[in-house]
Amino acid sequence: MYQHDGEDVFVIDAHVHLWDAREDNIVHEGGEEFIQCFYDYHTTFTPEERQWDMSEYRHYGADRMVEDLFGNAAADMGIFQPTYLTDFYDEGFNTTHQNAELATEYPERFVLNGTFDPRDGDDGIEYLEELHETYDIPGVKLYTAEWRGDSKGWRLDDEEAFRFLEKCQELGIENIHPHKGPTIRPLNRDAFDVKDVDDAASSFPELNFVVEHVGLPRLDDFCWIAAQEPNVYGGLAVAAPFAQNRPGKFSEILSELLWWLGEDRVLFGSDYAIWNPDWLVEEVMEAELTPEHRAEYGVEWDLETKRKVMGENAAELYDIDIEEKRRTFQDDEISQQFDLGDHYASEEPAAADD
Amino acid sequence: MSTPEPTDGAGSEGPDRAAVRDRLDRVTDPELDRSIVELEYVDAIEVDGDRVTVRFTLPTAWCSPAFAWMMAIDARDEVETLPNVADARIVLREHMHEREITRGVNQRLSFAEAFPDADGDVAAVRVELDRKARIARQYDAIEALLEAGLGPGTIVDLTVADLDRPADRAAVSAADDDAERIPIAVQGEAVVVPVPAVPLDRYLEKARTTGVVSDSDDVLFRTPEGDPIDAGSFDLVHRRGRLAKVNMSSQGGICDGLREARERRFEEAGDD
Repeated sequence: MYQHDGEDVFVIDAHVHLWDAREDNIVHEGGEEFIQCFYDYHTTFTPEERQWDMSEYRHYGADRMVEDLFGNAAADMGIFQPTYLTDFYDEGFNTTHQNAELATEYPERFVLNGTFDPRDGDDGIEYLEELHETYDIPGVKLYTAEWRGDSKGWRLDDEEAFRFLEKCQELGIENIHPHKGPTIRPLNRDAFDVKDVDDAASSFPELNFVVEHVGLPRLDDFCWIAAQEPNVYGGLAVAAPFAQNRPGKFSEILSELLWWLGEDRVLFGSDYAIWNPDWLVEEVMEAELTPEHRAEYGVEWDLETKRKVMGENAAELYDIDIEEKRRTFQDDEISQQFDLGDHYASEEPAAADD
Repeated sequence: MSTPEPTDGAGSEGPDRAAVRDRLDRVTDPELDRSIVELEYVDAIEVDGDRVTVRFTLPTAWCSPAFAWMMAIDARDEVETLPNVADARIVLREHMHEREITRGVNQRLSFAEAFPDADGDVAAVRVELDRKARIARQYDAIEALLEAGLGPGTIVDLTVADLDRPADRAAVSAADDDAERIPIAVQGEAVVVPVPAVPLDRYLEKARTTGVVSDSDDVLFRTPEGDPIDAGSFDLVHRRGRLAKVNMSSQGGICDGLREARERRFEEAGDD
């Protein structure tokens, strides 16, 4: 667990991937452009001494991922958000099946999400049912800008998409994570427009819509939708690494999010392996709101808020019992591997004067 | 606007580079609502008689083709407003669609002709980004008014005519700086409050472009949807203006970062 000023903070990294962008998996030039674009985001917002080289970035594998997430106890759990891109990558870029390699080996440490694509029609519904049966997925990551043949994207407020959301509701798949964020070459910028979330969220009040990347570069549209739809949440992936080299900007974005959504609807995510929690968690935990922003927005980035954003809010959505996890992690395989037992040792909060 | 002067050397009747630069300064990155000169996108201005060539580079090679297109078109049209420019040629560099855009703009094609495969409508994109720029500029204008001491009730009732600079009431400058101020009459002309002109003018320009105001008795400030503002929702509308500004500067942060990363890579490549 992350130690912050003598206090433990349980960190759920709500946005991680196990991807494969090796050349022999790429079947379309879009696949190469996509990973190159990811790499630009990586180098732009990663401290120079922590940057990876391109070959390790293409494929880092399960062992390295476990070490990056848990080795220095930066994160306690990770939520897999798949990105299929099967038009670009032979076996897919980061599918539920690929992620399952780790998620089934360490079921206590990972949450495994699925996906759907309404353009797949009845086959897609069947696939969603299959994911539900095989992995009991509690959520889906949706990529509205994904290419499929001639189609360059789809909308969450389409009739066909609603059919899939109904199916999610029927199967008890409650957490819907649409990617609404920065353009990634070669995908179409407009297919990341966040406005389609509005109708979907109001039509499915029992589902939770976690908008990944808080809609950037449409933070304004996102916050306005979230202010009106109580089941809309914001995923901090992409905004988080601003803490490292744009601290004033980070303070401002976080202040806006806390003002419009409140402290219960913002979730931390690293976007691993675009950024690595082994340094990013610390940057976000140690970040401060500027005195000007605190005064202007009347919000705080204090211990209570950090606990919610870094873990408790995700735990709430995914029915994770943090105290139970803490007991389990005292001697699970990962704690043994990295000698982390002490991090989970104190079961009850220590007395105030200890 | 400075008066164009003949270029040195050639003795031609073309514009000087400063005049071209002044024109380009009016062109904005539509997503950031900041001048392409200020953002340092312009790499070179070449003057050959009455022909001008402008070369520019965007922060990322995959910056939206629609945005790149808008900037290229606007740059061409602005430079061609100079009386001694017959032809402005725009060259976009280091972009995934540099050929289509450079060719399309210089051959005066439409976006649809330059990009037969594009499924976006550049006019609609421009309308949406202009709308956001208007909201962000309104925030700055209202901040200036609040700082000058006007209250929300007064601000929501202001009309376009209130920003007029009547001949008999000359614009005033405060003692501490030379910034032009507009005298705004409030409380039934009983009080005149000087307010910095720049944010008000910038707002009015975008309010006109976006069509939310046209007549002089139109209410000046609007909700993001374009309606007059109810005094009771003043704070919320103003918050939304702040949010639009934060969004723009956040995107600016991403663009700046990507550009720095790219420049580092070029430097490293140069060192090899």
